[in-house]
Amino acid sequence: ASGPEKYTEEFIKKQIEEFNLGKRHLANMMGEDPETFTQEDIDRAVAYLFPSGLFDKQARPMMKHPTEIFPEQRKIQWGEDGRPFHFLFYTGKQSYYSLMHVSMENICDILNRNLAGSRWLTKIELEEMLLEKLSDDDYSRFIQLLEKLMTLPCVDMEEKHIRKFSKEVPMQLKKVVIEPLKYDERGVAFSTGEGTRKTAKATVVVYDNGTGKITVNGIDILHYFPVLQDREQLLFPFQFLDRVGKHDMVCTVSGGGRSTQAGAIRLASAKALRSFVTEKEVEFMRQAGLLTLDPRVKERKKPGQEGARRKFTWKKR
Amino acid sequence: AAAAGLAAPVSGAGGLTALPSLLALCRLTQVRWSRYDPSYVEPEVNKELYRKPWEELTEEEKEKLELKAVQPIKAAPPSLSTSVFSDPMISKFTNMMMKDGNKVLARSLMAQTLEAIKRKQLEKYHKAPEDEKETIECNPYVIFHQALKNCQPIIGLSSITKGGKTYQVPVPLKDNRKRFLAMKWLITECRENKNRRMLMPEKLSQELLQAFNNEGPIIKKKHVLHKMAEANRAYAHFRWW
Repeated sequence: ASGPEKYTEEFIKKQIEEFNLGKRHLANMMGEDPETFTQEDIDRAVAYLFPSGLFDKQARPMMKHPTEIFPEQRKIQWGEDGRPFHFLFYTGKQSYYSLMHVSMENICDILNRNLAGSRWLTKIELEEMLLEKLSDDDYSRFIQLLEKLMTLPCVDMEEKHIRKFSKEVPMQLKKVVIEPLKYDERGVAFSTGEGTRKTAKATVVVYDNGTGKITVNGIDILHYFPVLQDREQLLFPFQFLDRVGKHDMVCTVSGGGRSTQAGAIRLASAKALRSFVTEKEVEFMRQAGLLTLDPRVKERKKPGQEGARRKFTWKKR
Repeated sequence: AAAAGLAAPVSGAGGLTALPSLLALCRLTQVRWSRYDPSYVEPEVNKELYRKPWEELTEEEKEKLELKAVQPIKAAPPSLSTSVFSDPMISKFTNMMMKDGNKVLARSLMAQTLEAIKRKQLEKYHKAPEDEKETIECNPYVIFHQALKNCQPIIGLSSITKGGKTYQVPVPLKDNRKRFLAMKWLITECRENKNRRMLMPEKLSQELLQAFNNEGPIIKKKHVLHKMAEANRAYAHFRWW
């Protein structure tokens, strides 16, 4: 085996047992009490029994506790199949690198202050501030420097300077105004909503105190949307808010295809339901993805290709 | 290279959760781009998460909620919904079965398959003696999930070229890949090895029930893959990731 000899735990244990036994034998030989035989007594006994004229003290016969003789080493770091226990074993200095990892994590925890409230300036804003053109590389280097600055301990002194480069991010919800409920001639509360998806446009009126009847372009949804998936999508906002049988809906929709019209009505009804519901529930709807306009549209066909992504058949000659 | 050098001490260890701005910055010109801005986050549809009152949430969940309040969220896709009938695994499987974008047909085939499984299990249930009745599983969703789990391989093979020769090296698989392989094998098996007159739902239900009991051709394929991996374990050190 290469490198210094490795001692296993059992080997050390055996040595300790042998040492203790030998200590008692030595005590017996010297005629002293085995229980109170100290290390100094052992040294004196060995010097008496094996006198040596060697110059180097380390070379003379000695009997010491195995922990002093066998230097404290790492126990064998791998199991029976040869696979090491620590994940950083092959770096060579596993304890050092794991220490670095832990310290790094602690530093990153301190970073958690500025998370939710603010963001760094974008590249364009920074260019406006400096009145100079920046490359992507320059910008990312600057942001990394700012992040590193945030990790240092005495950040408060420089906070004024750093604040120039960070911007408050307002709560996403505050950007949208929720309209109040309207009341029609019968005294029933209703609210309107509009939604689009690809090329379909939908306008929806949601009435309160209803039985869950949904009409699309004058036709009942069972006849207009024969596919189960579309009806599931229509009922998604109601089911999410647990108001399945409580509202009536009248929709007008045009353009697009079967699935697109269903998506447009879903967005419109979610927007209309915002007036009926508490602010917290509106935030939940937003986080479930019900209130975002889907920006996906058909990608244009490019010249030199057969479709948006499909290329012409590659011919070798 | 200089940027990478600066990046190392900051985003080394668990930096991903603590430095969202850096992550979004990683590539300013995207290679695989989508219509959404990179700062948009996937929607979370599970109703139970939103039911919990504020006090019951753990520290982590509170932080996540606060973060989410300032992040814009993508729109939920049309196949996702909170109804009890929507299951992400079943949707994924239906999409893989779909041909030429005919989702209606794929969904009806899936529904017929689940019905066929239920019918077969009920037949067995009614014929079985009293003491065995509890062991027979009648819920088709449970059978589907268990069958897929039984079909998933644990280890896969990857071709690595070294010194001019290509070796098949055993490699651990990610969860996504395992699920994908199980579903792909199931579908190819049903499309190819059946009689001319047998329809897809019947064949699929047969295969699913066999996989549920750990028998059948797909389980055999999985075992063959495992044996090949075991045979090639001498080359395992060729893997560098």
